[in-house]
Amino acid sequence: MTELVSKEKEVTLLDLLDRILDKGVILFGDVTISVADVDLIYLGLKVLLTSIEKAEKMRRATAAQYSTWNVKRET
Amino acid sequence: MRLVTCDMIYLYAITDHSEESVPAEPGLEGTSLFSLTYQDIAAVVSPLATSTVSPTDDNLWRHEAIVEALMADRTVLPVRFGTVLADEAAVKAVLTTHYANFVADLERVRGRVELGLRVLWNDDAPPPQPSPASRGGSGRAYLLARLEEERQRQAQRQRAEALADEIHSPLAQMAVESTRQVLITPRLLLTAAYLVEREQVAAFRREVEALSAAYPELRFLCTGPWPAYNFVTPAMMFDV
Repeated sequence: MTELVSKEKEVTLLDLLDRILDKGVILFGDVTISVADVDLIYLGLKVLLTSIEKAEKMRRATAAQYSTWNVKRET
Repeated sequence: MRLVTCDMIYLYAITDHSEESVPAEPGLEGTSLFSLTYQDIAAVVSPLATSTVSPTDDNLWRHEAIVEALMADRTVLPVRFGTVLADEAAVKAVLTTHYANFVADLERVRGRVELGLRVLWNDDAPPPQPSPASRGGSGRAYLLARLEEERQRQAQRQRAEALADEIHSPLAQMAVESTRQVLITPRLLLTAAYLVEREQVAAFRREVEALSAAYPELRFLCTGPWPAYNFVTPAMMFDV
């Protein structure tokens, strides 16, 4: 990918965001990253932060769930 | 009673590498990577002092660099950015709970990488709006104008689907699996991801270049190789 980073940096960043924030092994609730109406442009950090805030809420909820399991398993 | 530890655990990837070796890459916030194993799979993680990770360029690329470094010598399921678990026991619980699914997905992506493709077109002009005259005119004229507008929209959609097929089909044949979306936005004719055997990557790129030459009016943007983000089943979709 290194050769592409220099050539098509913004496209590659968008592709990275598309994948890293929305795909892969997803353990916590779904987060919709709104790329639908931002056509191949750099996604502003504001959009990201909103999404991450949502992710954070869900993460806390699920982390609490996993912690609870652990407590149960250990008692 | 158990004391609560300060560090949470940040999760980068699930791998088929049950040994505890990890690449010499620094983790987020300059921490050290380590792995937590369960049977023949492992989670690659680092401790995290805070519960939040900011999605800065640096952090996003750090996460990606670690996943790519892992790909050098093992099969990897990339985990979504920002996945933080309470403690090591929680990570082990995830590995235990989803073990069968992780093993199946590792098998699915072994020896393969993901390539991304976006194709842009210029046929994105919105259908003409009914003119003010027809609006002010009879109801019949207005409805006819609306009907024409809808016909043009459908015709454009069909052109897009047909063109996307012409481009996607030869590429999908070179891939083990693929995803395809048409007109996510008016300009984005095709957005696709292909799971390709590692040794097929060069041939795949040549095919994209050939298509690009055959369709000079379209713009082709191919990225990768990526970890197989699009071909991993999100664990939360599994039955727990």
